[in-house]
Amino acid sequence: MGKAERGALAQGLVRCHACGHLAKLRRARHCPVCGGVLHARRPHSLQHTLALLISSYALYIPANIFPIMTVNQFGVIERHTIIGGIFALVEKDMAPIAALVFIASIMVPLLKLLGLSALLLNVRLRWQRHPQWWMRMYRLIVFVGRWSMLDIFMISILVAVVDLSGGVSQVIAGPAATAFAAVVVLTMLAAKSLDPRLIWDKQNKL
Amino acid sequence: MTHPPDACPECDLLLRPSRPIVGEKIVCPRCGYLLHSPREQSVERVLALSVAGLILAGPANFLPLIGITFLGNSHEGTLWAGTAGLFAEGFWLVAALVFLSSIFVPLLNISLALLISLHLHFNRPHHLLAHWMRWLQHLEEWAMLEVYMLGIIVACVKLSDTADVQLGFGLYAFVALLLVNVMLTGSLDGYLFWQRIAELRRKLHGQG
Repeated sequence: MGKAERGALAQGLVRCHACGHLAKLRRARHCPVCGGVLHARRPHSLQHTLALLISSYALYIPANIFPIMTVNQFGVIERHTIIGGIFALVEKDMAPIAALVFIASIMVPLLKLLGLSALLLNVRLRWQRHPQWWMRMYRLIVFVGRWSMLDIFMISILVAVVDLSGGVSQVIAGPAATAFAAVVVLTMLAAKSLDPRLIWDKQNKL
Repeated sequence: MTHPPDACPECDLLLRPSRPIVGEKIVCPRCGYLLHSPREQSVERVLALSVAGLILAGPANFLPLIGITFLGNSHEGTLWAGTAGLFAEGFWLVAALVFLSSIFVPLLNISLALLISLHLHFNRPHHLLAHWMRWLQHLEEWAMLEVYMLGIIVACVKLSDTADVQLGFGLYAFVALLLVNVMLTGSLDGYLFWQRIAELRRKLHGQG
C-alpha cells in the first residue's frame, strides 16, 4: 500500500482525458501524444454539475404534470401524462411493459436527480466513508442515463406509424415531451461533467 | 513486460500495469475500472464492422420499421418519419434529439470508426486522426440505437391492442445495424488505437 495507493496528481502527474497519456503537471498545457488540452481535474466540475442538476429539477415538474402524448381516435382526444400512460398500460393487462416504462420514465430520472445530488453533497462535504459505494452509484447513473429516452423514442415511432387518413387515428406529442427530453439530456450532461476522481481526491486530504 | 506508468481515469490511482494478452483484463485495484482488455485484430474488425454498418444504415433509415392496419387503413413508419413527424408537429427540440441519437450520431460514429481504422490499417498518418478518435469517444454514449429498439417494442405492444402490427424490412436492417454497432464498440481496443495513433503521429512529424 502506501505509495502505490496514492493518486497520480499527488505525484505531479496529469492523465490526458482523451488518450490516457500521463504527462508531468505544469510542463505542458497540451497532451504531447494527441494534442488535447490537459486538466488535472475536469474544470469547474461541481459548478457545471450543480447548474445542470438545478435545471433538470426545474424541468422535471412540467415533464410530469403536462401531457406527453395526445391520441386522437375518431375525433376523441385523449391526453396522456407519463404516469397516466403507465396506468393505461396496467388497465389493458400489459403489466410487464408498464413496469418497463415505469422504470425508464419515473425511476431512472428520479434516481439520477437524487443520486447526482447526493454525489455532489458527498464531494462538497468531503464525506470520507465508502468511496467504492459512491463509485458504484456514479457508474449506475452514467449507465442508466440513456434508457430514459425510451418514452421519447416510443412517441416518435407512434407519431410516424399512427397517422391514418381521414383523421381516424393520430398521435401528437405533448408539451411534456420537450421538458422530459431536456431532463434526460441535462442529467446525462450533469453526470458527464462530474469528475469521479473528486470522490477519491478527498481521501488524500485526511 | 509492463506498460509505462498509467493512472486510473476514474479514481486517479497511479498504476504500473502489466501488459495483458488477448482475453486478459486489467482492472483498477482501487475502484474496479476496466483499464484495458485487448481484442484480437481490433483494427481489422472495426474496419469490417464499420463498412457493414454503413451498408445497413440506408435500409435501416429509409425502409419501413413497422406498419399497422386499422379498420382497413394501413400505414407504415420509417425511422426518418418519426423525426419528420415530430418536427412537423412543432416539437423541433425533441425532433432534433431523436434525429441525433437514432440517426446522426450512430452514422457519424461508424464513419469515424471507418476513417480511423482505414488509416491505422494502411499505416497512413493524418493530422486529424487524434481529433477523430476524441470525437468518437465523446459521441459514443449519444448513440442510442438499443434504447430506440426497446421503444419500438413498447410501441408495438401498445399498438397491438387496437391494430394489426406488421414488421417491416427496415426493422431487420435496424436490428442488424444495432448488433453491428454493439460489436463495433466491443472490438474497439481504445488503448491499442491510441498507441497506433501516437506512432503514426511521430511518423508524420518525423517526415515533416
